[in-house]
Parts: sequence; structure tokens; C-alpha cells
Amino acid sequence: MTTLDARPISTPAPDNYLTHTRGLMSWVFTLDHKRIGVMYLFAVLSSFFVGGVMALLVRTKLLFPGEVSWMTADQYNKAFTLHGAIMVFLVIIPSVPAALGNFIMPIMLGAKDVAFPRLNLFSFYLWVLGAICAVWSLLAGGFDTGWTFYTPYSTQFSAGGTIPVLVGVFILGFSSIFTGLNFIVTIHKLRPPGMTWFRMPLFLWAIYATAIIQVLATPVLGITVALLVIERSFNIGIFDPSMGGDPVLFQHFFWFYSHPAVYIMVLPGMGIISDIIAVHSHRHIFGFRFIAFSSIAIAVFSFLVWGHHMFTSGQSPLMNVLFSAITFSVAIPSAVKVFNWLATLYKGSISLNTPMLYGLSFIFLFTIGGLTGIPLAVISTDIHLHDTYFVVAHFHYVMMGSALIAMIGGLHHWWPKMFGVMYSEFWGRIGCALVFVGFNITFFSQFMLGSQGMPRRYYQYQPEFQIYHHISTGGSYIMGLGFVITAIYLIHSLFAGKKAPANPWGGASLEWQCSSPPPHDNFATTPRVGDCYDFSAVRWDEKEQGYVVDTEAHIASANSGKGH
Amino acid sequence: MKQADTPFDNPAARFEAGRMGMWLFLLVLAMLFGATILGYLVVRLDNGDAFIPIDAPSPPPILLASTIALMLSGFTMQRAVHAARIGDPRQGAMMMATLALAAVFLAAQALAWRELYQQNVTVSDNLYGWTFYVLTGLHAAHVLGGLPPMIVTAWRASHCAYNASNYRGVTYCAMYWHFLDGVWLVLYATLWFGSVR
Repeated sequence: MTTLDARPISTPAPDNYLTHTRGLMSWVFTLDHKRIGVMYLFAVLSSFFVGGVMALLVRTKLLFPGEVSWMTADQYNKAFTLHGAIMVFLVIIPSVPAALGNFIMPIMLGAKDVAFPRLNLFSFYLWVLGAICAVWSLLAGGFDTGWTFYTPYSTQFSAGGTIPVLVGVFILGFSSIFTGLNFIVTIHKLRPPGMTWFRMPLFLWAIYATAIIQVLATPVLGITVALLVIERSFNIGIFDPSMGGDPVLFQHFFWFYSHPAVYIMVLPGMGIISDIIAVHSHRHIFGFRFIAFSSIAIAVFSFLVWGHHMFTSGQSPLMNVLFSAITFSVAIPSAVKVFNWLATLYKGSISLNTPMLYGLSFIFLFTIGGLTGIPLAVISTDIHLHDTYFVVAHFHYVMMGSALIAMIGGLHHWWPKMFGVMYSEFWGRIGCALVFVGFNITFFSQFMLGSQGMPRRYYQYQPEFQIYHHISTGGSYIMGLGFVITAIYLIHSLFAGKKAPANPWGGASLEWQCSSPPPHDNFATTPRVGDCYDFSAVRWDEKEQGYVVDTEAHIASANSGKGH
Repeated sequence: MKQADTPFDNPAARFEAGRMGMWLFLLVLAMLFGATILGYLVVRLDNGDAFIPIDAPSPPPILLASTIALMLSGFTMQRAVHAARIGDPRQGAMMMATLALAAVFLAAQALAWRELYQQNVTVSDNLYGWTFYVLTGLHAAHVLGGLPPMIVTAWRASHCAYNASNYRGVTYCAMYWHFLDGVWLVLYATLWFGSVR
């Protein structure tokens, strides 16, 4: 066994995962992680479209300070709630782990599949069932609680579709749990010989840290929404103060999940960025261990900071101080990552193609998102900023500007691998520029709004805020245009895109060493691995119109210890 | 076309991975029950003795019977694993006994509910009743949810399907079952102490 794969890398396998079997049933009952990943991708992006339309409706309403005839206050409440719930539970949480992670992770490991392929398919159908519950909720009158379902509003006063959506959140939670469980076992048990923990791509470290949070935190959300459903059904429960229950207990339970959930969203994005930055600057990642351990540190801290959502909920002053202090400490591992990415870029040979543009956008937007978290963690300033547009802008910089931008970047990075075609680089850059500019216009103006006291979730507002709302809505249209262009050129590439080489960007991790799109079983034999960030054995091949990795030199280089 | 349902070439590696997955699943359930019990403790301790209505009965004594049935089922479950491991045909009988004891447990829980209900403890009057029904109901739901895979395993065991080279199914069932045993003991103790003024 001298080569990485029994098949010469330049000749594709006789078929690929898309053509291996045919017919609708071969997709519906597939156990192939790649097909499940593609189904997730389609489902998540469709939900993203619906959630995005809701956001644009909300932004359009906010052009006007008073009432508008085409959207009542009730409809407005339902629109922003639907936007939040869809984006959190149906889009961002499953976007990277379940869609991209499912596709890429086993290939990065050189494995044939995830550890439990049936469970993987089951997770996907749980997702579908959860999405059906959301639709059921709309038919039952919609829900207007905000995505946080705070009691007692959600148990006594909210619109008729509240129970169906809570059932949906419960089911989606278990979809996420099973994905996380599957990934932890996969990473533990299916790493190929030679891939030690410290030779594992940072994307996998991030997915692993995420999976730990999914497994430990999500059950608490599950039981919380279950108790909420029971409470709403019987008009009594442990969150009901009239009978001796405690509504703040709900907030504790909810944020015990939902704060870690922020890291379920952003950690996989950070993993993608680590890979994109290294590959597209053709330079060994700087500070591998620091980035790897900072992912774990963030996962650990994520469980200790939930109280910072409750500074104004009557938590004891001592708790407030503790939660505030621990919240500051999250800045350390986050900054460790940012500085390591910057150090990787330094003196790198940077290709400014679309994935890299998204990667650089991420660093910029995440820095703003992270730093604006600090005034929110300071108790005194949080009293002023709590529940204002400042918070809205802050978490959009993190959840959308970071998590979602990373997901879109990863989608471009692995698109040639997933579908075997290249998209238009020109339009890719235009799309990224529009999204980046539109995003900043939309949300930077909201920092202004919030710091001047505009509360979030309000249907009507004082006329002096109108100029900022106009700027913000204008930005959201630019961003929307960017996403529409992105959707068009990506779909176009599926039919008319140039055929992709196995390794278009010059990556050295395993997924770039099987053909594009990958064959059904990924690798004919278990591959051997070197250092996935050592690009010294990667060179451009004119005949392939892509990069090739000299496997022997690659592994020899790793074994000689040049890598780390 | 038959698809490969495991990426592992080696059955021992597959078993290892399955057990790890099961441990993680039990961790998930531990978080779930842990949060529920914590929530109970918060409202119980917040309210002091006012939590218990004046005329409220204690948890029914029949819960003792259900506890014994569940403990015995843990024992028969472990015997089933042992028999499966050596390919002993008694694996089927032991699995069936476990199922029967599970049925006894569920019946005893139902009787306990009925007894309380007849003494006017309902789910919608006060948190004392609400927490009792929700906590015991949550546990019973997990017992009930475990039955389908247990029945499949018992069916296979009654055909002596398990032996030294493959006793995965019985092992996974046993892990889940012992976990529910443990949870019940904690839950029972919590509810009992919670009902003491």
C-alpha cells in the first residue's frame, strides 16, 4: 500500500454518490451520509428562504413608525417570532453540523459513513417532523411569543399555535441531540490510523465541541418545552407564580440550553473558518492546539454564563456579578481564535476567492459581534441596553454575521466537492460583497437605535428613530439581493457549471483527495493521513486543472515533525 | 439494494461504538431527568410546607410494590445478558420475565395514579398533584418507550439469537433498563421526602 487510495486520484471512480443508485426511494431511504447531508442542506436552505422573507416583511413594516394597513400589530408579532424560531431551530442549529458536517466529516476522517447511519437518517426525519409542526402551528393560529417562549405570556395569553410549535421545538431538539451523539462516537471511533487528535482538522474539533453541547444542553430544552406544554394544557405548572411556581425558573432552564445553543451555532462556523483561512492562504494554520483547545474551552464556558440573559429578571446581585465575570472570560478563547487566524493570514499566499471573502467577512463581523457583547456583559450598561436594538444587532452579528456567513463560506468551499461543479467566481464575489455591505448597513444602524433606547420587538416607534430604521431596511434589501444572486449562480452551476477537479483550492485534508463528487464509499481503502495543514506537498497540476497532493512526501513531512 | 448499515468492518468495533452511543444517550436522559428533579426541588423548597395541601395524602404505598417489581426486572434483565453472552437458551425466558415485570410495574403505577385521583389529587389543582403526576408520568413514559425495542429483543432471544459473538441488542436494553431502575429510585426518594412536612 503505497498510495493514499487504491484508485489513482486522477481517475474518478466508476460512479459517484449522486449516480450510485437512482430513483426517489434511493434518496428517501438512503443511509449514505452524503445524501442525508444534501437533503439537510436543501431543507435548511429552504427554511432560510422562508425565515428571510419574514425578516424582510418585518424590516419593511419598520419603514413606518405608525400602524400600516397591510400588517397589524398581531401579524407583526407573529412575523418576527416566526423569523426567530425558524432561523434558530430550523436553520442555524442544523446548518453546519447536520448539513455540511454530515457531508464532510466522515470524508475528512477517511471513514465510509458516520457511526450510526440509521440514526442519522432518523435525525433527518425528526427534523422534517419538527418543521411540519411549525407549519401546523401556523394553521392553528400562529405563535407570537418571540422565539424565547417566556412565561407567563406563553402559557396563558399567546396565540393558538403555541403548543404545536413547542412540540416542534421538542422534536427538533432530539434531532439535534441524535446528530451530536452520532458525531461524538464517529470522531472517537472512526479516525483512521495516524490521525491523532492533534492531526484532526480543526473543523472536526469544532464539530466535536459542538456535539458535546448538543448532547448535554439540548435535553434541558426538551424537558422545559414539555413542561410548558403540560402547563399550558392544564393551566398550572412549576412556572406559574399564582400557585407557587417560579417564572424565572423557566428563564433559567431556557437559557441553560439557549446560551450554549449560541455556541452550537457559532462553534462549527469557527471550525469552517479555521479550514478556509488555512487552505486559501496556503499556509499552515497558526497555533493549531490553541484553536483546538479554545473550541473546548468555549464549550465549557458556554454552560456557565446563561445568567447574563437575566440581569434584569431579579437574579441576586451576587449571581449577576458571577455571571458577568464568567461572561467576560469567554472573550479569551474567542480572541485566541481570532488572533490565530490573523497570524495564519500573515505572510500567507492569500487567494481572494469567494470562500476566502466569506472567511475574511467572518473575522470582521465576529470581532464586532464579540466586542459588542462586552457592554452587554457589564451589568450597569446592560440595564440600559437590555431588550433594545443593541442586543438585536449584537446577536445578529454573531448568529448571522458569524455563524451563517461561515456556513455560506463553507458551502462555497465544499460546493465543488459536494456537487462536482464550479460556480461562477465573478458572481460569487459580487454576492459576497452585497451580503457583507448589506449586512453592515442593516445591523450597524441598529447599534445606533439600541444605544439611543429603541426597544426591540416594538410595532410602533418614535419618529426620531425613523432615519435609522430606513437605513437598516435599505441594508436588508441589499443583503436580500446578495442572497438571491447567490442562490441563482449556485443553482445555475448545478446545470452549467464547469466540472470541478478533486482539489480546486489546494487543501491537504482527506476530503480533497477523493474525487468530486465523492464515490459512494468515499475511499476504497482506509487512507493514511499526514498533517492536514501542511501544504508543502501540494502542487498545482496543469493537466488536472486542480491541485494534487504528493501523498508520500506529505506523510513523510508530517512524520519528520515539520508540521507542528 | 441492501445498503451497509454500519461503517465498521469489525463486529467488536461496532459493539464498542454502540455502547459508547448508548452511554451518551443515557447522559442525555440523565440531563433530562436531572433538570426535572431540580425544577421540582426549586418549587418544593421555595414554598416550604405550604407546598403540601392540608388534606393531601402521601404517595400511595403501592409504589413500594412497583419499586420491587422494577428492581426484580433489573435482576432478570441482567440474567438475560448473562445467558445471551454464553448462548444459553434461557435468554428468551429471562427477557420475557423482564417484560412481565415491566408490565407489573406499569400496572402498579397506574393503580397509584388511580388511588390518588380518587382522593381528589388532580393534575390541575395544586403543584403537589401536578409534580407527582408529571414526574412519575415522565418516568413511566420512558419505561413505555423502552418496551418496543425490548419486545423485539425478547422475540430474538426466544429464538436464541444471541451468543458470545453477538449480544449487542440485549446489552443495549440492559443499559437502558438499569438506568431507568436507578432513576426510579432517585425519583421515588425525592417524591417521598418531598411529601414530608
